[in-house]
Amino acid sequence: MTECLVKNNKKVLIKGNYAIAQAAIKAGCECYFGYPITPQSEIGEYMSGKMQELHRAYVSAESELAAINMVVGACSTGAKAMTSSSSCAVALMQEALSYATSDELPVVLVSVMRAGPGLGNIYPSQGDYNQATVGGGNGDYKLIVLSPSTVQECIDLTYKTFYLAHKYRNPAVLLADGLLGQMMEPVEFTDYPYPAIDHSDWALTGAKGRPARKIRSYAPLEGPQCEHVKNLFNKYKLLEENEVMYEEFDVEDADIVVTCFGSLARNVKSAIKTCRAKGLKVGFFRPITLFPFPNRRLAEIAGMTKKILVTEVNMGQMLRDVKLAVNGKVPVSFYGKPVGAWPNVDDIVEAIEKELN
Amino acid sequence: MSEKNFIIAGFGGQGVLLAGEVLANAFMLAGKNVTWYPCYGAEMRGGTVNCEIVMNDEPVSAVNKKEADFVIALNQASFNKFVSKIKKGGLMIVNSSLAKEIKTRSDINYLFAPITKLAENLGNIKMTNILALGLLAKASKLVSVDSLSHALDTVIPPHRKNLLPLNLKALQIGYEYDLQPV
Repeated sequence: MTECLVKNNKKVLIKGNYAIAQAAIKAGCECYFGYPITPQSEIGEYMSGKMQELHRAYVSAESELAAINMVVGACSTGAKAMTSSSSCAVALMQEALSYATSDELPVVLVSVMRAGPGLGNIYPSQGDYNQATVGGGNGDYKLIVLSPSTVQECIDLTYKTFYLAHKYRNPAVLLADGLLGQMMEPVEFTDYPYPAIDHSDWALTGAKGRPARKIRSYAPLEGPQCEHVKNLFNKYKLLEENEVMYEEFDVEDADIVVTCFGSLARNVKSAIKTCRAKGLKVGFFRPITLFPFPNRRLAEIAGMTKKILVTEVNMGQMLRDVKLAVNGKVPVSFYGKPVGAWPNVDDIVEAIEKELN
Repeated sequence: MSEKNFIIAGFGGQGVLLAGEVLANAFMLAGKNVTWYPCYGAEMRGGTVNCEIVMNDEPVSAVNKKEADFVIALNQASFNKFVSKIKKGGLMIVNSSLAKEIKTRSDINYLFAPITKLAENLGNIKMTNILALGLLAKASKLVSVDSLSHALDTVIPPHRKNLLPLNLKALQIGYEYDLQPV
């Protein structure tokens, strides 16, 4: 085989976790607070060296609880701050996420899913779809959730996560999984493409020369609290109108459309190629933003196809959102497994063929 | 070219993941799409460890393949674990210093070489992994020594650059090892 070595190759081979960490640095992350947990520890490891080198803030926190609350504190000054964690440790952060949503703080959380429930184990999983999109904190709130499927997307969507968190002043989650965190792939680092967001009208920066400000998630009277939550939901409406992202192909003529999120999309795409080569009319649809969820587009697709198959590495979590979007127009079925090696291409092809018969 | 995938497996400490990283970088430098995915236990040393490298001209989609085109087994446990995973007509490269020269399947090809011994002869047992890549380059014809050398230069960190010449030599010895037709 003849080879030509690519001259001035701008690509680097990099692990998903390192890609996320480097992207966060390029996005201008000023503060990282974290507590190690497999399979995302490389993020904190990278930050521990690089942040110091750049004279930015890095704290190895005493617990996950401390880490997320340090992020809340830093964000209340308008700073770009983040933490990263995984499943059972993200569970510990739920209270702070609810508070940060109410406080309208641009918290960035990278959640690299492993197996659960409970301590589970370190194998990859997609079992925290509900944890990210529905959440475990109290009250009416939503988190912005983005779901990458390649290491390149780990970079691009880390940028987007920072941008959306700051633009909408709402906590945003990059929901990756252990497979993406640990795998290496060639990527290209573009520069952070989004404009800076001005926080000077609300951030707690010291009251010198101006009246003091307060950030609090507490309104003692019914009316103001009602107003506050309504304002949050006006924001979510804007997100649903303007920020929905998805990827699709071959849906127009499809007898069945397969939906999935995150890195499982890689195997699903291969399976669909195999099905198409066999003459089966199969389409692909992947929500990239899990909130705001692409309800409108899925409803349209339900009008074009005969059946929808949801595949996940969990026991059917996104399934519920797909069913709500499809609203009974066509049958929605599920194929998945809870933990470990992703269903391989042959298994997915078999599941699709079963649905078509 | 259709997709090809490689599994490199051995004990923790044999440099399995690093060998995979070098191979993946070599493919990238040759303009291919590639993924590297590790699998290891919680042990620092002595547990089983393997990584899967998938190479393609098209974007690499699936990881966790059902079958492999090439397997490098650096010990007996790895041979036992992965021999059934090789595609018909695929190649099993076996470190005969630490595994028996027994062909348990007749529909795949084997390459037995005393890789650990060859590394010891070179003066550093830690060169086992890179020596194995030399064997793979020769047997597979899918990656050149040139790409692998560039990849080594990329992967070896600055404070370990003194080890680069020995690694390049290990690569060469692996490549020039007289392949026994089996």
